[in-house]
Amino acid sequence: MKSDIALTASHIDKFFHEPEDFQALKDVSFEVKKGEFLSLIGKSGSGKSTLLYILSTMDTDYGGTLVINGEKLTGQTLNQLAAFRNSHIGFVFQFHYLLPEFSVLDNIMLPALKLNKKSREEIEADAYDNLKLLGLPEQALKMANKLSGGQQQRVAIARALINSPSIIMGDEPTGNLDSKNTDIVFNIFRELARERGQTIIAVTHDDDFARNSDRVIELSDGHIVK
Amino acid sequence: MAATNFKIAIVHLTSKVKQTVVAVLGVTFGISMYVFMNSFMSGVNDTQTMLAFTSLAHIRIYNDGPADNTNLIKKAYGPAVIANVRNARIIQYTEGIKNTAEILDLVRKQPEVIGVASQVNINVFFRNGGNKVNGTLAGVDVANEDRLFGISTYMLSGKWNQLQYRPDGIIIGYDLAKDLSVNVNDNINVLTPDAVSRNYKIIGIFQTNVKSVDKTKAYLNINSARQLLAKNEDYVTDLQVNVNNFEATAPVVARLAPVIPYKVESWQMSNQQLEAGSKLRDIIAQAVSFTILLVAGFGIYNILNMTINEKIREIAILKAMGFSSQDVTSIFLTQAMIIGFIGGVIGLLLGFTVSSIVAHIPFKIGGLNYLPMAYKFKDYSLAFAFGLFTTFVAGYLPARKASKIDPVDIIRG
Repeated sequence: MKSDIALTASHIDKFFHEPEDFQALKDVSFEVKKGEFLSLIGKSGSGKSTLLYILSTMDTDYGGTLVINGEKLTGQTLNQLAAFRNSHIGFVFQFHYLLPEFSVLDNIMLPALKLNKKSREEIEADAYDNLKLLGLPEQALKMANKLSGGQQQRVAIARALINSPSIIMGDEPTGNLDSKNTDIVFNIFRELARERGQTIIAVTHDDDFARNSDRVIELSDGHIVK
Repeated sequence: MAATNFKIAIVHLTSKVKQTVVAVLGVTFGISMYVFMNSFMSGVNDTQTMLAFTSLAHIRIYNDGPADNTNLIKKAYGPAVIANVRNARIIQYTEGIKNTAEILDLVRKQPEVIGVASQVNINVFFRNGGNKVNGTLAGVDVANEDRLFGISTYMLSGKWNQLQYRPDGIIIGYDLAKDLSVNVNDNINVLTPDAVSRNYKIIGIFQTNVKSVDKTKAYLNINSARQLLAKNEDYVTDLQVNVNNFEATAPVVARLAPVIPYKVESWQMSNQQLEAGSKLRDIIAQAVSFTILLVAGFGIYNILNMTINEKIREIAILKAMGFSSQDVTSIFLTQAMIIGFIGGVIGLLLGFTVSSIVAHIPFKIGGLNYLPMAYKFKDYSLAFAFGLFTTFVAGYLPARKASKIDPVDIIRG
């Protein structure tokens, strides 16, 4: 089945029961094309992050169905979803979440070692390629916690890219960065979508960031407003 | 994949060296104490057994006298008839074992039996001038007696083998000799219950360190003993039997008892206090070492729990990147097992060291020179196995907790 749809979310509902019953997402449906750079925006509490974690397959407690690359993910077991994330989805978070006791190179290689499809040497070569792409090749053997915030975020992107995922998801990937680093990260995303055809879905507060992406979905009170 | 998880586990362990060392020391201490306690208890039990078996055979066959015949009339007429018998006397009964050769032959055929010694035991008075001491005179089959009880190793003076060639010779216990004020080459007089009196020459003195034996026992050649009682060449009062495994006397007894018309008694039956003592010591040793291992286990549990709380974000991120619950479990279980393995190996070495040091502490009571210690493969392998098992359990609980972490909760904060 060859299609240009990367992700289909249909009729997503999400309830929180703590501290009180609350519907965070109400019948959210949309599609994302392959190679599309999509921004999710909305005020705090609008449900955009909640939606992203459902799309990321990490949150499984929702109503509706989620299909990524033609594979229906709703109802799969946690371990099946973990394996799916490993090979199809790359993550960049607001905080870098690198493993501080590992070198930069080891951090980048981890998801690929888990996937276990290539030899160690190939993975290492890929990791160096990614670091070059992000302009950090000379930092490879440093410990992750010795880097600056912007550098760490770029390492986190390199890690997200190591298994060549079809979708990269970002939860405020530039939320913690200054304007210079924000530009760097944005340009990397732009390039990935345009040149590698990777789909990008990013939650953001940054209006410039959103304006320059291909498409913006705005959420308010659990509904898509545009 | 396993290599990656292993690497993560190693990094966790080496990044907090102090914690890891504390956890390893916990296991080390637990296992070394287990080894030491059990080695010591085994040593004590072995010494006890060795002392006990200087005069005790594994199985004893003897004639335990006539049945209770105080009221024979009751047996014939039942309780309805009132009978009054006074001064009931036993006219005659067979003393000792009849048909010895046949029984000996039967006993020797049992595959477990490693030695049989015939004895003629007589309760006598040993006399030297006005000095009288009550005791047991054992007429023994010299070579077999030594094979069973190793009595020649307890000789203080004289040679055990001499008894074979000296029908007039007697070998007596150290304390008995002192009580009678006699020494080697002196004569002592023996008085039997049948009022036969005879002089023997002391050709040796032994000391088993079991006081009750050293104070009352003397050895004679079995033929001299038969002569003293005016009995024939076949006369025997006791057959002492040793089997290859002294713990496993029950099956031999069960096989022999129905076909031999005499009492067949294992050492466990006649000396239950010995068995109880050794079993109780085992229980104490196990209880103490289990307690120590349990404490060590709690230590590991605590440290892994702390590690997991510190690394909770890393665990969440590993899961977000696609590591499965099993991967997370294996990462933390690997840490526990590495701690258990290293602690175990060091613990075995430390246990051995402590044991060998304690085995050099002087202890001069009851024929011992140093504290007894046994070095048994079984104790060491069990200690190691228990150690690994404890760390596995102590590691599994936190590891399972880690594997259940929901990455969304942690990453969203």
